Amino acid sequence: MEATAKKNEDFFAEIEELKSQLEEAQDTIEAIRSGEVDAFVVKNDNGHRLYTLKSADQTYRIFIEKMTEGAVTVNQDGIILYSNTSFANMVNLPLGKVLGFHFDEFIPGESRASVQQLVKDAWNEEKKAEILLPGKDKKPLPVLLSLNSLEIDGGIALSIIVTDLSYQKETEQQLKQKNKELEEAQLVTKHLNAQLEQTVKERTNELFESREHFKFLADNIPTIVWTANAKGVIDYFNNRWFEYTGEEKMNSANDLLCCLHEDDKEKYIALWTEAVALGTPFEMVHRFKKADGEYRWHFSHALPFKNNVEVVTWFGISTDIDDQQRAIERKDEFISIASHELKTPVTSIKGYVQILRFNFEREGNTVAAELLARVDNQINKLSTLINDLLDVRKIENGQFQFHESVFDFNELVNEVVEETGRALVDRNIVCELDHTRQVKGDRNKIGQVISNFIDNAGKYSPADTSIFVRTTNNGNSIKLMVQDFGMGIPKDQQSKVFERFFRVTGEAENTYAGLGLGLYISAEIMKRHEGCIGLISDKGKGSTFYFELKRAD
Amino acid sequence: METGKRKKIFIADDDRDILQIMHLMLQTKPYEVETTSNAKNIFEFEKDLPDLILLDIWMSGVDGREICSQLKKNERTKNIPVIFISANSNIKKIAEQYHADGYIAKPFEMEYFLSKIDDMLGAERPVEPVGI
Repeated sequence: MEATAKKNEDFFAEIEELKSQLEEAQDTIEAIRSGEVDAFVVKNDNGHRLYTLKSADQTYRIFIEKMTEGAVTVNQDGIILYSNTSFANMVNLPLGKVLGFHFDEFIPGESRASVQQLVKDAWNEEKKAEILLPGKDKKPLPVLLSLNSLEIDGGIALSIIVTDLSYQKETEQQLKQKNKELEEAQLVTKHLNAQLEQTVKERTNELFESREHFKFLADNIPTIVWTANAKGVIDYFNNRWFEYTGEEKMNSANDLLCCLHEDDKEKYIALWTEAVALGTPFEMVHRFKKADGEYRWHFSHALPFKNNVEVVTWFGISTDIDDQQRAIERKDEFISIASHELKTPVTSIKGYVQILRFNFEREGNTVAAELLARVDNQINKLSTLINDLLDVRKIENGQFQFHESVFDFNELVNEVVEETGRALVDRNIVCELDHTRQVKGDRNKIGQVISNFIDNAGKYSPADTSIFVRTTNNGNSIKLMVQDFGMGIPKDQQSKVFERFFRVTGEAENTYAGLGLGLYISAEIMKRHEGCIGLISDKGKGSTFYFELKRAD
Repeated sequence: METGKRKKIFIADDDRDILQIMHLMLQTKPYEVETTSNAKNIFEFEKDLPDLILLDIWMSGVDGREICSQLKKNERTKNIPVIFISANSNIKKIAEQYHADGYIAKPFEMEYFLSKIDDMLGAERPVEPVGI
C-alpha cells in the first residue's frame, strides 16, 4: 500500500512537472509567434540547448504567421520546430499538437513514404509535390508542399510551405467539368451538325428528286408550264414551250410577252401586273404565236406559291384551248345562223298569217281572224324561244348589248300587259299600278322581263285565275310584281329559278313548255341595270315574281 | 321630193315570200311598191328614184350593208332613206354603223311594219337637189 501511495505521489509530481513544461512550451511558442522572443532554451537529455531565431525578423514572422499558406520548419529528424497557425488549421489541430511533433505524423499513410523520400531529397535541392492532407470533416485537403533547406543559426532546417490547393483544385475541377461539358456540348453540336448535314443532304436529294419529278412531269405534259419569281419574272419554261414556239432556249424574261398576240398584250400585262402586286391567282384566255406563225388560243392560269408571309414563286400553265375555242365559235356561229335561218320562215309564216287575218277581219270573218290571231301568238312564242337562245349566247360571250333611254314605266307595263294578254285570253290580268315614274334603261329588255314574268304566270297557273301586275314606288326605286295563283315553287328550288336551263322539277315537270332560259335572261337584264330580282312563293298557292329598279326622275 | 305622186318604195330581199308579204302588206296603203330579189338592180335607177328603200342585210351573195354604204356615198341616192330589214340579231348596231335611217327586225308585226314606213315617209327630211 505504502509503495502504491509512493508511486501515486511520483506520478502526480511527474504530471505537475509535465504540465509546467507544457505551459512553458506554450508560452514560448506564443512568444515566438508574437515575436516577443528571438531565442529560447530547450532542455533535453543532453542538457539545455539555446535555440535562436537569429534571422527572424519580427515583421517576417508576423507575415509568415498571417499568411494563408502553411509554413513549417523541420529539423533533420523531421521534428517540427515551427509552424504557423495556417498549417495547424490545415491539419485541423491546435498549434500545441503540431509543434515538436514529427512532420510524418500529419501525412496520411498512403503518401507517407513518398513524402519521407521527398523530405530526404529536399535537403539537397528544392522539391515540390502535391499530396492530400486529412482536412476538416475527413474531407481530404489537396496541398502543394514546397520544400527548401534553410541555413538557420549555423544549422540547417527544412522549410516547408504548404499551399492549400483546394480552391485551385476546385477551380480546376470546375474548369475540368466545364471543359467536359464543353466537350459534351461540342460532341452534341458535332452530332447535330452531322444530323443537319445528313438532313440537308437528304432534303437536297429530295429537292433534286422533287425538281426532277416536276421537270419530268412538266416536260411530258402537252401543256405549257412556266414558273416566275416573286417579282413575276419568268425563270422557267417546260419543253412544250420550246416545242410550241420553236425557240431553242430562254432568251429573256420577255419571251412570253413576245409570243402574245398584239391584241392581247395590253390586257395580259395589266392582269399579270395586278396578280403579282396582290399575290392573287392570274387567269386569262389569250393567243400564243406558234413556231409556224399561227396564233392559237390558250387559257393561262397561274397560282402564287407562298411561304407563310409572301409569294416565293409563281406556277403557271397555259393550256391550248384553240380547238375548244373554235368549237365554241362554231357553236356560236351555228346558233347565230340557225336562228337567222329559223327566223326567215317564221317571218314568212307570220307575214302570211297577218295578211290573212287582216283580210278576214276586213271581210268580217271574225272566227277565222281569231284563229289566225292564235296562230300568230304561237309564232310569237317561237320567236321568243329563238331570241332567248341568241340572248344566252350573247350573255355568255359578253355581247349582250343594251340601248339605254329614259322612258315612262307605266306606259311600258301597259304595253307589255296588252301584248302578252292577247295570248292569255283565259286569264284575268289585273293591273294595279302606282304613279308612273321615269326609268333609265333598255326599254325593250325591261319589257322582255315583264313579258317573261306574265308568260310564266300564265304558263304555271290554271285557266280562269287572275294574274296581278302591280307597281309600287319605294323611295328612289320602283318595284314591279307579277302574282299568280298557280302551282308555286318549292322552297328548295327557289334559289335556282334564275339559273340557266332551270325548270321546276316534280310530278308534272314535263308538261310545261320552255327551255328554262327566260328567268336566267331576266336576271342578267336586271343585273346589268343594277336592279334586283326575286320571288316569293308557296307551293300550291302561287308565286310572286318581282324586280326593283332605280328611278330616273 | 315630188308631191302629188304616190310615194315609191323599193324593196330588196332575196326571199321571194318575204318580198310578196311586204308587197301585200304595203298594198293596204297608197304606196307604189317595186321589189327585187337581186339588190344589184338598185343602182339601175335612172329617173324614178324611190322615196324609201327597204334592204335585207344578207342576200345570197350580196351584202345589204355594202349596198347601203354605196347608196349613202352616191350624190344621187344619199338622201333616200334606207331601212334595214333583217333577222340578224345585231340589226340595230349594224343600222347605226352603216348609217341606215332605220331598221325592222324579222319577224315583224304587220302593224309595226306599216307604221314604221308611214313614219319614215311622212317625216320631213332635208332634201338636197338631186339633179333630175
